[in-house]
Amino acid sequence: MIRLKNWTFALLKLFHSIKDENLQWNEKNQEQENKLKHNRVLAAKALESDLKKRSVQLEHDINLLRTKNETELSMFKTKCQQDIKDYKQYLTALDQLKRSIQSSYTHLPEAVAFTIHHHAKHLLNQMWEAKDFEQKMHHEMQLINFMTTVHEEARRYLEGTSNTQLPEKTINLIQRKQINSE
Amino acid sequence: MIVKFALLLVFISFALFFSVDLLLWLAIPGLPNLLTQLGLLTLMIAFGILLSAGLFIIIKLTLAAFLNYVSARERLERRLLFINAKQAQLKQLFYFKAIQVNYFSELKRKRLLQTNNKQHLESLSKVINKDLQSLKKHLPKPHYLQLHQLYRKSLKQQNIEALLKLQTEIANLI
Repeated sequence: MIRLKNWTFALLKLFHSIKDENLQWNEKNQEQENKLKHNRVLAAKALESDLKKRSVQLEHDINLLRTKNETELSMFKTKCQQDIKDYKQYLTALDQLKRSIQSSYTHLPEAVAFTIHHHAKHLLNQMWEAKDFEQKMHHEMQLINFMTTVHEEARRYLEGTSNTQLPEKTINLIQRKQINSE
Repeated sequence: MIVKFALLLVFISFALFFSVDLLLWLAIPGLPNLLTQLGLLTLMIAFGILLSAGLFIIIKLTLAAFLNYVSARERLERRLLFINAKQAQLKQLFYFKAIQVNYFSELKRKRLLQTNNKQHLESLSKVINKDLQSLKKHLPKPHYLQLHQLYRKSLKQQNIEALLKLQTEIANLI
């Protein structure tokens, strides 16, 4: 019985000594532990503040992007509307060109007037559908050149300075173009 | 630690059951019954502890995950992800809107062209028809019919080029 009592006491003593050691260790390292905790809290706050800053920055970026997109889209819409207007004006100009040919050359077969108009429209569409800027410019120059030739010949014919009864330069241009495309 | 304790209890209960067997073999009455009940109790306590520990761990982990989910850092990270996704969405939206605007603009241009083509086609067809009528008496019937058929076919197909060719042919005949 006494031995059992001694064992119990020894066990209790061991338990108390472990507790004492633990207490001492805690006391010794408390400052460091507090420092660590403090540092951890500071790091968490710094991270939070950084994330908040990034979030504000990104929101600002989004607003900028939205405004930029809206402006660009509105500009693009205006450009498309202007393009349509220009195309309409070109078509009207071509119709006028046809009427001008018909009124200038009274004996000109209808087929020639239609062919000239059709060719001019073909050039206009080529210009409009060109993907490359250089190609577009090239087709535009061709169209302008063609229209100038037609008007110039019609004017000369009306003034009586032309020797021919047909717009031969224009017809030559069409034939040359057809040969080139073949 | 808790798991170790529960396992220890399980082993103790097995030891008790083994001792019950031993006592029964030695034919000692009374004690086996008590030891069986003690063993059963120990085993039940062990399982109870294991179950409680499991439940406790699950609840603890769930709570920790929930607290982590609603923590400021996680919330901000989610916000950042949301903003990033929104940015990508805006870029995509701009791209598709630009395509849409371009598509409708092109459609409008094609309609304008179609209307213009139709006008000229009508005008050309009137001229061809008139010329064909005037040629009707001067041309052999099969030739006239051939030309008329070609005219009808080209008009149906809205083929301006074929009509222009026909008009040139008719103009040469006149």
